[in-house]
Amino acid sequence: MKRFTYITAILVAAVAVSVASCDSKRKPGKIYMPDMTYSRAYESYAEHDTAKFTMDINDKGGDKIFYNSMPPSGTLKRGELYPYPLAHDTNSYKISGTVKNPIDSLTKDQLAEAGRLFNINCAICHGEKGGGNGPLSSKIGAIANLTLPNYVAMADGTMFYSITYGKNDMGSYASQLTRAQRWSIIKYVRTLQPKAEAATAATAAPAKTDSTAKTAK
Amino acid sequence: MSRYRKIINKLFASLLFVVLLSANNNVFAQDGEALFKANCANCHKPDVDFTGPALKGWKEREPEEGWVYKWIASPAGMIGSGDAYAVKLAAKWKPTVMTGFSQLKKAEIDAILKYVDDYTPPAPAAGGAVAGSTEGGSDNSLLFGILTLVLAVVGIILLQVNSNLRKLSDEKEGIHRGEPVPFYRNKTYLMIGVLFFAVLTGYFLTNAAIGLGRMKNYQPVQPIYYSHKVHAGVNQISCLYCHGGAQDSKQASIPSVNVCMNCHMAIKEYKGDPIVREDGSSVNGTAEIQKLYSYAGWNPTTKSYNPDNNHDGIPDGARPIEWVKIHNLPDHVYFNHSQHIKVGQQQCQTCHGNIQDMGEVYQFAELSMGWCINCHRETKVNFFNEADSSGNKFYSIYEKFHKDIKNHKMDSVTVEHIGGTECQKCHY
Repeated sequence: MKRFTYITAILVAAVAVSVASCDSKRKPGKIYMPDMTYSRAYESYAEHDTAKFTMDINDKGGDKIFYNSMPPSGTLKRGELYPYPLAHDTNSYKISGTVKNPIDSLTKDQLAEAGRLFNINCAICHGEKGGGNGPLSSKIGAIANLTLPNYVAMADGTMFYSITYGKNDMGSYASQLTRAQRWSIIKYVRTLQPKAEAATAATAAPAKTDSTAKTAK
Repeated sequence: MSRYRKIINKLFASLLFVVLLSANNNVFAQDGEALFKANCANCHKPDVDFTGPALKGWKEREPEEGWVYKWIASPAGMIGSGDAYAVKLAAKWKPTVMTGFSQLKKAEIDAILKYVDDYTPPAPAAGGAVAGSTEGGSDNSLLFGILTLVLAVVGIILLQVNSNLRKLSDEKEGIHRGEPVPFYRNKTYLMIGVLFFAVLTGYFLTNAAIGLGRMKNYQPVQPIYYSHKVHAGVNQISCLYCHGGAQDSKQASIPSVNVCMNCHMAIKEYKGDPIVREDGSSVNGTAEIQKLYSYAGWNPTTKSYNPDNNHDGIPDGARPIEWVKIHNLPDHVYFNHSQHIKVGQQQCQTCHGNIQDMGEVYQFAELSMGWCINCHRETKVNFFNEADSSGNKFYSIYEKFHKDIKNHKMDSVTVEHIGGTECQKCHY
């Protein structure tokens, strides 16, 4: 009889545990130690408790802590060292060509890294060879063929402006690529383009090819 | 199987297309196709309107003979000079203005226009292969189960036959035994039954107890039906395009809404294969994109973000998307994405499964400690090779291993060798 009780107890336990663990896959399920599994500290992307924190710096009343997830003003992120003077407005685009690329030349490894970043972030539309025929180009449309003469002639600074603030249907890539990465990707794009002389020979040359003729080599 | 059929169908269709093209076209038109693809295809399609108008039938629309060459050379100039048809075109397709292609020669333009006129849309891939609901290889466990049952029944029958025969032979030899106990009172049978039951119960109990506390297969409903299959699979977007943090930091990072809008400023509708949830209900991709617009504060009709009237720095109505976290490591485990992606050169799929095939993401790995440790024991590091100085130079400092490799005491270095199974590597 005693044995029978044992067996029943084990059976009941088995059924109970099975039922508990077979929860719907839409729910995270039960865990043994919730205070260890779910962090007490604030995790990335966690919502701030509005009872304890405020995002309004002028909110002096009460004892709420001011925190808005922004870096303190005046700090620089790694890769953002190169200063960029132009703001996002209609006039800036026209003068953006005057900003020089702070990166003179890339080593073989740096160029490979720039190419890797280009393939991840740009080639999806502009194509791995820059021909404007990436996998998404037929869905978005009006993708720039970077090997055409007008892009060969385009100054590095103008390209940087477009990558930073977006142009037409292209969004800003400032949140995905640092300034250093953007400048080096432009260097990489130059290696995809035909040499400036060859490209301009075939066409009635636009006036300002000189600035890029040097960098295209 | 249906996947192969799809590929074969596509192959067949493209073959047909190639044959059709080569049948009545000369080298001239082939050039036209190449030129069209290089210069025009970004904004124009031969037969349907795209960013710019469909090009087929240009001849009928042309206001005068030779107009098209002038237009292609300098559209902005034509509009500026007040050409009536050019102004009309610009008004119809604004704000986009066609780029000038002054570098194209007349012969090249002729080739492109000839290609456009001769263009026939490729025949749609014929029939079959609609929804890829593959049944997968039939589950063998049912077959084995039935086999086991049959064998067990045969075994019991044989035992019965055996005992009957023994009874008969005993009677013949005149040995008298008592009436045999029925099998449900036979202690051997009972014992076997209890043992079998205990093992079965123990198996399920252990598995269930381990499963409790792990979240494998967890697949929550997300605020937007975001299909990794459509984005990473069909459209081949790199994982790192959206989850760029995986190569730079501890977190893989959830993309902010502006990353979505990089493409969805232009892609307003879902036109791909129908999306079906696992329960069979269909998903309206275009409606899901509309949800994204509402989160982003984007107005698709005016193609601009909502004004920021309350001066909080974001468009009015914009708010973050509250994605539900699936993969959760306990607080006492340290895991760094960049260490695995950048240094270890691991694929995302190693831990997240075939994410490019998932409509809705579920937790693929059990994320248990045994699972981590097992991988650390088996995975070889990109060890520095002194002979040809290939591999990760950091590992040049492991003098003992270099000596051992030279003396053929070991042939490869795993993560465990360099301390990947030390407790404090992940728990501190």
